[in-house]
Amino acid sequence: MTIETSSPMAAPQIDLSAPAAVPPWRLALRQFMKSPSGVAGAGMLLLIILVAVIGPSLYPVDPLDLVGAPFMPPDADAWFGTDYLGRDVLAGLIHGGRATLAVGAVAALITIAIGLVIGAVSGFFGGAIDAIMVKITEFFQILPPLLFAMVLVTLFGPKLTTITLAIGGVSWTSVARLTRAEFLRLRDLDFVKASRAAGASSANLILRVLLPNALPAVIVSATLAIGVAILFEGGLSFLGLGDPNVMSWGLMLGQNRNYILDAWWAVMFPGAAIFLAVLAISLVGDGLNDAINPRLRRRS
Amino acid sequence: MSALLEVDNLNVSMRNGSGRLVPVIENLSFAVAPAQTLALVGESGCGKSMTALALMRLLPEDFVITSGRIVLEGRDVLTLPAKQMRSLRGSAMSMIFQEPMTALNPLFTVGDQIGEVLRWHQGLDRAAARSRAIALLRAVQIPAAEQRIDAYPHQLSGGMRQRVMIAMALAGRPKLLIADEPTTALDVTVQAQIFDLLAELQRSTGTAILLITHDLGAVAELADEMLVLYAGRCIEAGASEAIVTAPRHPYTRGLLNCVPHLAVGGPPQPWVDLGEIPGMVPPLGARGADCAFLARCAQACDVCRAKPQPTLEPIAPGHAVSCWRKTELAA
Repeated sequence: MTIETSSPMAAPQIDLSAPAAVPPWRLALRQFMKSPSGVAGAGMLLLIILVAVIGPSLYPVDPLDLVGAPFMPPDADAWFGTDYLGRDVLAGLIHGGRATLAVGAVAALITIAIGLVIGAVSGFFGGAIDAIMVKITEFFQILPPLLFAMVLVTLFGPKLTTITLAIGGVSWTSVARLTRAEFLRLRDLDFVKASRAAGASSANLILRVLLPNALPAVIVSATLAIGVAILFEGGLSFLGLGDPNVMSWGLMLGQNRNYILDAWWAVMFPGAAIFLAVLAISLVGDGLNDAINPRLRRRS
Repeated sequence: MSALLEVDNLNVSMRNGSGRLVPVIENLSFAVAPAQTLALVGESGCGKSMTALALMRLLPEDFVITSGRIVLEGRDVLTLPAKQMRSLRGSAMSMIFQEPMTALNPLFTVGDQIGEVLRWHQGLDRAAARSRAIALLRAVQIPAAEQRIDAYPHQLSGGMRQRVMIAMALAGRPKLLIADEPTTALDVTVQAQIFDLLAELQRSTGTAILLITHDLGAVAELADEMLVLYAGRCIEAGASEAIVTAPRHPYTRGLLNCVPHLAVGGPPQPWVDLGEIPGMVPPLGARGADCAFLARCAQACDVCRAKPQPTLEPIAPGHAVSCWRKTELAA
C-alpha cells in the first residue's frame, strides 16, 4: 500500500479585478423586492394603472352616456349597475381612473417640483434667502389645504387643470421642509466640502452632489404625495368642485353621494377604487422607505 | 526663487454666540516655493485646518479673515471675485481631506467623480475624461484601474479611497496641493504608502504641497520646511531637518518627545516614559497677550510671565522661534 502524497498546493489565485460595481439604486431595488407589502402595493398599483391605460379600449362605453334607467342594480347588462342619471358605473370606474390617476400624478409632480426647488434653495444658500423661504413655506403650511384648494378651484373654475394646479399648489410644504432639512444635514458633510474644494459651482453642488443624496428621503414623501393628491381630488369632487365634463372617481362619489341608501353601488365602487389606489401607493411608499433605509439594508 | 504661495500676516477670527470676534489664527506668515513641501504641525485645535480652509476661502460661515494677504502665483486670493475663486479651486490649488471614508460622494463611481473635475477644469469630453481618469488612477498606483474606475466608494478600502482623493485633487494639475492630515484615518502601513506616493507625485508633477499633520516622522521625511503652530500662533519655523534635530521652542521639543522611537536589535532598553505635554491648548477666547504656551511650559520663568507673546525672531539662518528664552535654551 502506498501512501498517496498530497498534490502540491495550487498557487493561490489572486483576483485583481474589482468587484462588479452595483449602483446604489440596484441595491435599493433588491431591498424593495424583499418587502412583501411593497411588492403587493406595486402589483396592485400596476394593475390599477393597466386598467386605466388599456381598459377604456377594451370597454369602450362612454362613461357620460346614459345607457339605461337610473339606479339599475348590478346585473348582467351593467355589471356594476347605473348611477342616478343612468350612466354605466363600470365605464365610470375604468375611464374615470385615467383622470383620477392623472390628476394624482401631475399634482404630485407639481408638489415635488415646487417643494424641491424651494427646499433646495433654502437649504443651500441659507441666511436671508433661507429666512424668506421658510416664512413663505410656513405661510402655506398654516392655511388649511383643502379649504385653500377649494378657494382656488372656486376662483378659477372647476376644470381638471385648475384642480390639478390647486392640489399641487397647496401640498408642497412638507416636501420643501424635508428637502431643506436634508440639504442642511448634507451641506457640511465631507464629500460636499471636498466637491467645493475641487471647484464645484453652486449648480454642480445642488444638482450633482446634494440633490441625489437628498432624494432618498424625499422619494417616500413624494410617493405618498400621489395618494394625497388622489384623496384631494376625491374630496374636492365630493364637495361639488369636480370637473363635471370629465369622469373621475371623485366625481362619481360626489354626484351619487345623496343616493347612497338607494343605490350603494354607485358610491361604493368608486370609493373602493380610491381606497385601493391610495392603499397601493402607501404600501409602495412603505416598501421604498425600507428599501432606502441603510440600517435595514445592512441587517439583511 | 519667487514663492508660489505667500501668506502675509493672516488673521482669522470666529464670531462667537454674542457676536464678538475671537481670534483663531494670529499674524501667520509663511511662503511655499514651487515643488517644495511645507508642513504645518501642531496639536488639534491649533488652527492648522482653519489655515488650509482660509487659503481655499472655504472657511465655515462664522469664521472671518480679519486681515492679511494670501497671494497665489501673484494673484491676491482674498480679493478675487467668487467665480474666479471657484475656478482656482481644484485647478490652481486643491485639497485632500482627512477622512477618506466620507470625502467621496457615495452615489457616483470614482470615475464619475474624477471625470467631473476634469470636465470642469480642463473641458474634456466624457470619453477623454474617462481615459484621463484611468491614467490618474494608475498614477496613484491603484491596481486594475480599468475596473476600479467603475467602483463605488463603498467598494474600496480606506487607503484606496485616499488614493482616489489624491487622484481627484491632482486631476486639475494644481500648483499647490493642500493635504489636511491625509493619513490620520489610515493604517500605519498604508500611511507610509500614502506619504511615499505623495513624495513621488511631487517629483513627477512638480506640485507644491502644504502638509498638515501631527505625524512628525512624516514631516522629517517629506517636508522641506515646517511651521509649528500653537493656539493659532506660529511659534517656530524653519527647515524641517533643523527643527526636528534641534528644536528650540519648548513646545516643539515636547511634541518631538511624544513620538516613540523604535530601536531594533541591541540589548533590550529599559522602559522609558514617552514625554507628554501636560495640560491642553487654551480654548478659543481664553488666549491673552501672554505667550500662549506659558501655562504648560516647564521652562517658563519670570521674563515669560512679565512680557507678552514674543515675536517670531530668527535664531539661525532659516530658523525662527518665538520664545523669550530661545538663546538660553539653545543647548
